[in-house]
Amino acid sequence: MTTLLNVDNVYKSYGSLPVLKGISLTVEEKETFAIIGPNGAGKTTLFRVMTGEVLSERGRITYADHDVTGMSAHDRVQLGMGRTFQVARVFPEFSVEENIIVAIEARLRSRSESSLPWYRTRPRSSVREEAGALLQDLDLWSKKATEAKFLSHGDKKRLELGIALAGKPQILMLDEPTAGMSPSDRIATTELIIRLRAANAMTVVMTEHDMDVIFGLANRILVMNQGEMIAIGTIDEVRANPIVREVYLGKEMYGADG
Amino acid sequence: MRLINTVLFAACLAVMFTIPLWADQGILFIAGLVLVEMVFALSWNLLFGFTGLASFGHAAFFAIGAYLCGYALRADIGAPFLLLILAAGVAGALAAVLTGIVLLRRTTGIHLAIFTLALAEILRILVGYSTALGREDGLASIPRPSLELGFASFDLASGEAYYWFLCIAASVIVGFLWLICHGPFGRILVSIRQDPERTTFMGINVPAYRLAAFTISGATSGMAGALYAPWAQIVTPESAHWIHSTQPMLASLLGGAQSFWGPVVGTVLFSIINYSTRNLVGLAELVIGVVLLVIVLAAPSGVVGLVHELRRRLTARVSHAGPGAEGKAGSKGKFVQEAA
Amino acid sequence: MAPIDLLFTFLNGLSTGMAVFLVAAGLTLIFGILKILNFAHGAFFMIGAYVAYSITGSNPSSLWIFILAALVAGVVVAALGFVTDRIVLRRLRNVDEAYTLIATFAVVLICSGVVKLIWGVNYASVNPPPLLDGAIAAGPLFIPSYSLFVIIAGFAVYLALDIAIHRTWIGKLLQSVANDGWMSGLLGINVPFALTSTVIASFMLAGLAGGLLLANQTLSPILGESYLLLAFMAVIIGGLGNVRGAFLASVLLGVIESGSSLLIPNMPGMATYVFVILFLLAKPQGLLGGHRI
Repeated sequence: MTTLLNVDNVYKSYGSLPVLKGISLTVEEKETFAIIGPNGAGKTTLFRVMTGEVLSERGRITYADHDVTGMSAHDRVQLGMGRTFQVARVFPEFSVEENIIVAIEARLRSRSESSLPWYRTRPRSSVREEAGALLQDLDLWSKKATEAKFLSHGDKKRLELGIALAGKPQILMLDEPTAGMSPSDRIATTELIIRLRAANAMTVVMTEHDMDVIFGLANRILVMNQGEMIAIGTIDEVRANPIVREVYLGKEMYGADG
Repeated sequence: MRLINTVLFAACLAVMFTIPLWADQGILFIAGLVLVEMVFALSWNLLFGFTGLASFGHAAFFAIGAYLCGYALRADIGAPFLLLILAAGVAGALAAVLTGIVLLRRTTGIHLAIFTLALAEILRILVGYSTALGREDGLASIPRPSLELGFASFDLASGEAYYWFLCIAASVIVGFLWLICHGPFGRILVSIRQDPERTTFMGINVPAYRLAAFTISGATSGMAGALYAPWAQIVTPESAHWIHSTQPMLASLLGGAQSFWGPVVGTVLFSIINYSTRNLVGLAELVIGVVLLVIVLAAPSGVVGLVHELRRRLTARVSHAGPGAEGKAGSKGKFVQEAA
Repeated sequence: MAPIDLLFTFLNGLSTGMAVFLVAAGLTLIFGILKILNFAHGAFFMIGAYVAYSITGSNPSSLWIFILAALVAGVVVAALGFVTDRIVLRRLRNVDEAYTLIATFAVVLICSGVVKLIWGVNYASVNPPPLLDGAIAAGPLFIPSYSLFVIIAGFAVYLALDIAIHRTWIGKLLQSVANDGWMSGLLGINVPFALTSTVIASFMLAGLAGGLLLANQTLSPILGESYLLLAFMAVIIGGLGNVRGAFLASVLLGVIESGSSLLIPNMPGMATYVFVILFLLAKPQGLLGGHRI
């Protein structure tokens, strides 16, 4: 196994309030890595530092041999780091299909995989085919002509996943992929992620609240509390960690054991 | 639907090209101004309706083109007219790049509005101070050039000849903007307007795209100015005044900023209102104000959006009788693609 | 340059600045609480001036008539503000900034059209009332008494606003609405009432300013523009929505305007715009940004 993403001793504070106090982690290729912790633990900030939404104050982040510490968010995406948002963000005025098409075109243009002429008024057939295949994969094909603003919450989440996948990411970063979903939607989404992960040989980094989703998806877990690392390791290692049991996981872990 | 659109489009083109044959000089002059303002409004709307940036000083780019062309024609420097128009475009683009680099990295919204407004006013003051550019009186009696195409030469001195030239030149620029707006580049601009952050995470360098849109918009505004100078035959600092900057905004909003043809419809409507109320001072403003207010409050997608909505309801009713709910959603979706 | 010139320029600038503030006060108030940049403010300022002119004529017979006319203008424009709020502003809550600007610009067109239809397009001018048409000599310095009147009026309006906002219950109420309208609503504050009162107060200030600044103006349908741009700049430099900031910024802009007309008389307004651009590039949040109203 080779290391794909490496976060080394990262610090970040908002004003005088420290939010990340020296976080280090490594994500191996093709594994799924989950970041958990109570509200205000710094999960979201860590996520943002990794995606490039905010820059860290100290420390280093490398991704596939590139130092991305000070790199802008869009450059990181071009290197293969895709992401979704906690509250699904799609383009409301576009149809479902256009949402995917614009994402494919963005990839083609920004990574210069092909010289896509700017004047082509209709997406070329290969782009449409790719979009169609992706929509079928996501089970959104029947809604391809619907304007995205009319989609249900779950459909929006899936469409956003599609936008991220259209960028052909090597590593997919999911910010609470099942937030606000019903239990049955959670199960469906977990299964979808497992399927897509296998099909695209992807590495996944995620933050998540729901323990079932984490146990269903993650290989390794980082537990955070108040900007510090409490524990890092495989699910079993983390389960066995007494501090984790004490601070955070206790209840749910026993529940999961029993 | 496509047939109706084609027929409608052809009819508009036919009216545009035949105006000199049936209208009087007064209307001909206004029609020429409409063509110029149309290009100007489309340029502004590339920023607002497509990219989501509101410039309040766009008249500056227009004035740069107009003064450049007017000055060169008066000085009779012998440059071909087409080259002058291109030069005006380049000048507009340069001005846009310079301001865009400073402003767009950090500012959008109200700050961008104030910055662009202040810069345009500075330009207006400078132009009004410059003796070479005629101070407050501007450049008067600008001659209309002749068009040298190598194989043929056309004298554009007459109103009709220059009008036809305006028709062709405006069509070319509008066609260029249409291609930009309807391709992948335009789609990405619309994505940026809807959600810049989401677009960033598709790997798009949002500030660079904004700058590109700003530059193109500056270039075509400059060209609109260059076309204006020989038509009006006078260019004054008023062309850089912030009131002129509001023209394309009003036209775009009136017609519908989310649609490509909205600004064109708006510009034409504007002129019709102005023309039909010309005898009673103040009435034109009152009518335009009320219409604009009703549109912004009741139909933010403008006249074009309103027409689309009506059509949508009609098609929905037709398909209601047919394939049922599924077909309804389908026809609506198809419609959306057509409108986009 | 002699010190006396400097002092004179400063007083001139102070007078200009106070005039700008009289317009900016209502503008910043409405922005601070409704988050609406009201393009039509200048137009209502102009209507205030025309209303006052209809009462005083070109030669106001006394200072009291002049002030009374300004108050009447304030009341009339406040009533118009109530109507505008009902028809327009109320629908602009939570709408994109650009649409707000265009909607209020439509109101500008309507106002300007109405003014042209009622009062015509001819220019009119109004002399200062008897007590204010001279100059006061202070040593070698002659200060036009009307300028002094504007300075005093500006200070008075500023003090009244500052006390109203920071010392009275309605000010506290407005502050809480400005900070978090949704939360205030939960706490039982009548938010719609607060918003409507703000609009009325803002428009009243516009009308009052029109009346107070009536003298030594050329009254024409484009009067609205002249102060509006400067007032806009003052509101933005002051830190959007902050009354103290707008006051300081107005004085600053007035002094810059007056100083530059001494140094570069051929380019009126130039120094102001350059200053605004440089200032906002260096300090985008404005003088007192972050502190609402």
